[in-house]
Amino acid sequence: MPAEKLNRIILTVDGREIEADEGTMLVDAARLGDVEIPVFCYEPKLGDPVGACRMCLVEIEGIPKLQTACSTPVRDGMVVHTQTAQVKEAQEAVVEFLLVNHPLDCPVCDKGGECPLQDISMGWGPDRNRMVDQKRHFEKPVPLSPLVAIDRERCILCYRCVRFSQEVSEDSQLQLLERGDSTYVGTFDDRPYIAPFQGNITELCPVGALTSYTYRFQARPWDIEQGGSVCTLCPSQCNVSFTVRDEQVKRVLARDNPEVDDGWLCDKGRYGFQAMYSADRVLNPVRFEDGQPVPAGWGEAVELAADGLLRAGSKTAVLVGEASNEEGYLLQRMIRRALGSSDIDSRRGPGFGAADALALADPAISARVVDIDHADLVLVVGTDPIHSAPSFDLRIRKAVRRHGTALAVATDRPTALDGGASEVERFDPGTASAWLSSIADEVAAGSGDGIAGLVNRSGHTVIVWGERIGRGDDGPAALAALARLAEAAGIAAEQESGLIGIPETANGRGLREVGCLPDAGPGFTPLDPGRDTDAIRAGLESGEIESIVLFGIDPIRDLPDTEGWRRALEAADHVVCFSMEANASTEFADVLFPLESHAEKDATVTHPEGRLQRVRPSAARPGDIRPGWMVLAELSALLGHETGIGSAPDALAAVADAVPFYEGLDDAVIGGRGVRWQDRPAATRLGDPTPDPLTPDSGNEETVTSTPPNPSTGEPGGPLSSTQPAGFDSEEGPTVGRDGSGSAPGGVVPPEDVEPEPSSTTTGALTLGTYRDLWADATTDLSPALRFLSPAQRLEISSADARRLELKTGDEVSVSSGSHFVNARVAIRTALPEGTCFLIEGTISDNANLFSNGRPAAVEIGPPRIELDLVTAGGATPDSGEAGDTSEGGE
Amino acid sequence: MKIGPEEIKVVPRGPEPGGAGGAYRAFGETLRGLRTTMARMFEKPVTIQYPEEKTPVYPRFRGRHKLHKFEDTGLEKCVGCSLCAAACPAQCIRVVAAENDPEDRVSAGERYAAVYEINLSRCIFCGYCELACPFDAITMGHDYEMADYNRSDLIFTKEMLLADPIERAPLRREGE
Repeated sequence: MPAEKLNRIILTVDGREIEADEGTMLVDAARLGDVEIPVFCYEPKLGDPVGACRMCLVEIEGIPKLQTACSTPVRDGMVVHTQTAQVKEAQEAVVEFLLVNHPLDCPVCDKGGECPLQDISMGWGPDRNRMVDQKRHFEKPVPLSPLVAIDRERCILCYRCVRFSQEVSEDSQLQLLERGDSTYVGTFDDRPYIAPFQGNITELCPVGALTSYTYRFQARPWDIEQGGSVCTLCPSQCNVSFTVRDEQVKRVLARDNPEVDDGWLCDKGRYGFQAMYSADRVLNPVRFEDGQPVPAGWGEAVELAADGLLRAGSKTAVLVGEASNEEGYLLQRMIRRALGSSDIDSRRGPGFGAADALALADPAISARVVDIDHADLVLVVGTDPIHSAPSFDLRIRKAVRRHGTALAVATDRPTALDGGASEVERFDPGTASAWLSSIADEVAAGSGDGIAGLVNRSGHTVIVWGERIGRGDDGPAALAALARLAEAAGIAAEQESGLIGIPETANGRGLREVGCLPDAGPGFTPLDPGRDTDAIRAGLESGEIESIVLFGIDPIRDLPDTEGWRRALEAADHVVCFSMEANASTEFADVLFPLESHAEKDATVTHPEGRLQRVRPSAARPGDIRPGWMVLAELSALLGHETGIGSAPDALAAVADAVPFYEGLDDAVIGGRGVRWQDRPAATRLGDPTPDPLTPDSGNEETVTSTPPNPSTGEPGGPLSSTQPAGFDSEEGPTVGRDGSGSAPGGVVPPEDVEPEPSSTTTGALTLGTYRDLWADATTDLSPALRFLSPAQRLEISSADARRLELKTGDEVSVSSGSHFVNARVAIRTALPEGTCFLIEGTISDNANLFSNGRPAAVEIGPPRIELDLVTAGGATPDSGEAGDTSEGGE
Repeated sequence: MKIGPEEIKVVPRGPEPGGAGGAYRAFGETLRGLRTTMARMFEKPVTIQYPEEKTPVYPRFRGRHKLHKFEDTGLEKCVGCSLCAAACPAQCIRVVAAENDPEDRVSAGERYAAVYEINLSRCIFCGYCELACPFDAITMGHDYEMADYNRSDLIFTKEMLLADPIERAPLRREGE
C-alpha cells in the first residue's frame, strides 16, 4: 500500500511546542522537542508498539490515568507532561519492579556500560533498593543456540526478542514460556534456536540477557571503537558498524540505514568477521617453489606476477569474484590497456551480457529497496532471497505483514517466502524464460488469474529477480522475457515500480558497471567481445590462454564444472591469485596475493538498486596486506600501463571519470548512507561511452600485435579464432544489440559441455537444479562460530519421487550424471514439483558444481558411491551410512 | 602642583649605627636562628639511611597496587569488569576478560581477567581504580619502590599484582 501523506500537527510536551506528523508515537514526537521519555520495549523496527514494559508512562491532559507514550499517537493540541510527581512515581515504581528480579551483576554482565536498564535506572529510577528477598533464579548462562547465550535472570521480559522472532524474521521459534514471575524466553522443548537472523536479538535485548558467544567478555564499551562500513558478504550490502578493540574486529552491529537494510543483519554478516582472523587467512604475498608456498616480499611478488603476465601477453584472462568497484575497474584497465586482452569476466556463468545489463540499468525500470515497503505487489522471480540476499527476505516479509503488500513467488526451488505468498508458481530448473514469456504474454493480454492477474490488478509492482536466471542457454531468452514482462506491466511509467536484480556476487552490479565484462568496458561501453567465464576455462585447457588472474574467486568451488576448472588451472602456465584465504584454486597459483576484508578496505561497492556505498577501513590489516588498488596499480605499471593512481580517492576518481553515469562521485557525495546513481543528474549519461581509451597503450608493441580476435580486423587473433564457436562473428558485431538476445557470447559454450550427457534410460532420472546456499562459502567455513552451519550436500527431492525411489529423509544416495557423481543425504521437500531435485553449489565436499555448467542436468539417484577417482572434489563417503540404515530398519 | 607643608610627612630615623642598638641590628636575627640550630644539636639525627632504612608510610598511603584473592576459596576477586580501566585517568590499566570454565574456575563470577596489566610508569597513584572496583579486588598497597631498568619491566601483569608483595615499606605506627 502506498505510504500515506501525514498532516503536521502541534502538541505541547513539558511546555514546549513540538511540530510532528499526525499519528507519530508520542515518544518519537517528544524526541523532536528534545524531551526524552524512557522506553524498554518500544522499537519501531519491530512494528507496532506493544506497551509491555510500562516505562514510558506520561500524563496527558484530559486523560485521568497515565498513558504509555510509546503507543499513544499524537493529536493536534495534545498537552503532555513527563515531569510531574505522578509520572515520577510511576517511573520509579516501574524501574523498581524491573529490578526486583534483576540480578544487578553489572560488573560481570557484558551489557554493562551500554545497557539501557543501567541508563534508565540511573536517570529515572529510585536511588534505593527495597528488595531484601531472594531473587528469582534460573540456570545461567545457557545456550539458546550455538551463537547466542541466554541469561534468564537478567531478562526483564520486554518481548523484543520474541517479537523479532515472530514478526520480523517470522520463524516463531522464540516464545514466552510459563506464567507470572516464572515467565522466561525460550524455545519449544528447549530446542536450539536456529534461524539465519538470530544475531539481531542480541542487539535488540535492552539488558544483558542475550549475548553473542563471539563477543562474550571480549570488551567493554570504553575499550572499543566503532567503525562504520558496509558488509560485502552478499549483494544486500547491509550497513554495519564494526566494534574494534586492539585493532581487531570483535563484533559487528547493524548501522541504521533504512534505505538499505532496515537495521537488520543476517548471521553471516554478523558473525562472519571471524574469518578475518582465521589461521587460513593469507597474510602476505606468497610465491610457490615446486608447489611449496614461500613467503615473498611485495616487490618480489609483484615482479613475479608481472613477469608471468608479460610472458603470456594478450593470452591472459582475468576472473573477478568479490571485488570493489575500484579493484574491478583497475583489473579491466590493466588487462585491456597493458596486456591488450579482453578476456575478463565477473559473472559466474555466461549470460547476462552488457546489452542486457544496460537495458536493465535504465532508471525508469529500476526500483529502490524502499519501494518494496509500499508496493502493491512484490514478485520474486528465480531467487530465494534468504540465500541470495538475506535482508531482502526480511524487507519483503515486512511489506507483506505490515503494509498488506501482495507477494508472488515464481522460482524453480521452493523458497522461504512461499508461506506468505498469495501466489506461488514453479518452473523447471533452467526454464525461467518459458515461464517469464508466458507470464509476459498473459499480462499483456490482461489475464485475470494467477501471478499475471496479480500483476495486472496491482498498481506499484516491484520485481525482485535473481540474475542467475540470466545464466546459461536459457539466460538471454529469460532476460528478454523479463524485459517484456516489465513493459507489459507498465513498470517504467510508475515511479515506485521497478526491477531489482540480485546478482550472484556481492558487488556483481558494480563490477559490471565498471567494465568487468568481456563485451563491455566501463559504463557498458560496447567492445569487441573477449572470452567469458566458460570460454576462459576452455581457452586455458586448450592452451590458447596461458595466464590467468583470479581476483577474489575460487573457480574450483564457485564456478560450474569443477573438474574442468581443475584441468584448466593445471594447464595454465601462470596463475596469479588474489585471495583472502588459501583455497583449492590457490594451490595452482604461482603467485598469491592477500586481499583485504571489508573491515579493512577503503573502496566503494554498488548495491543491486544502484546505490554506491563506501566500504571504509575500520580495523588494522593483519600481517603484510596491502590495499587492492595499490597492488593493482603497481602491477599495472610493471606491465607497462601507468595508472597514476596513488590513493584510494584517486582510484574512486578514476572510476567516476571512466563510468559516465558515475560522473562526479566522490567520498563526500557518497557519504555514510550511499547514493543511488539513478538519483543524480549524471544518470542521464547512462549509455554514453566511457572517455577511457580501452585499447592498449602505445609503445607496447608486442601486446598490441596480439589483440583479441576481432572479426573485423581479422588476423592478429588468428589462432584464437578457432575456439570461437560457430556463428560467433556473424551474430556479434562490434556493437551489441539492446534487445537482450544479442548477448550471445554468454550463451555459447565449448562443444564438450554443450549438453549434459544423456542419462541412461532408468526410472531414476530427474532434472537437477542447483542453488548456492547462504552458508556454502569460505566465510562460513573459516568462522568458528558459523562452521556448524556449513552445509553438507543434500538432495532435495519431491515426496512423489522419494516414494517412487523408496527414499526417506536422511538416506544417503549418490546423484550421478554421466561419469560424475556426488554423494548426498536425502531431504524430502513436499513443495518441490515431481521430477526435479536440487543440490547445493559450493559445499566443501560433494560440490554440485561438479556437474558441468550448472545448468539443469538429468540425474540418476543410486546408492552412495565411494570415491575411486581422486580427481574430483568429492569427500570421502561414510560407507557405514547404508549399513546403519538397514540395521535400523531391521530393528 | 605645589606641595604644601601639610603634605610633607616626617619619617623617623632609626638609631645611629654603633652601640648596642647597632649590634642588635647586625646580629639579632642571626643569633635567633642559631638558637634553633643549637637546640637541635642535642637531638638524635633524623636522616633515614635509605635504602637500608625505609620511611614508614601511613595506612592509607597509595603505593603499588595489589590484586586480591578470596582467602577461603583461593579464587580471584577480580572478575575483569574493566571498571578500573574506565576510571583510570592515566589510562594505564588494560583488562582482557574471558569466560570461566566451571571445572577450573579462576574467579567467582562468570568472567575473569585473562589479562590484567598496569603500566606503573604511567600510573599517577590516584587510587581511582580502587574506588571503582565493585569487588574490592584491587587495592593500593604500601610499596613505593618501583624503580627499574626497563620501562617494559614496569608493566605489571596479573601474576605480579596477585603475588604477595615483599613488604618493604614499613607501616607507620599509631601516633608516629
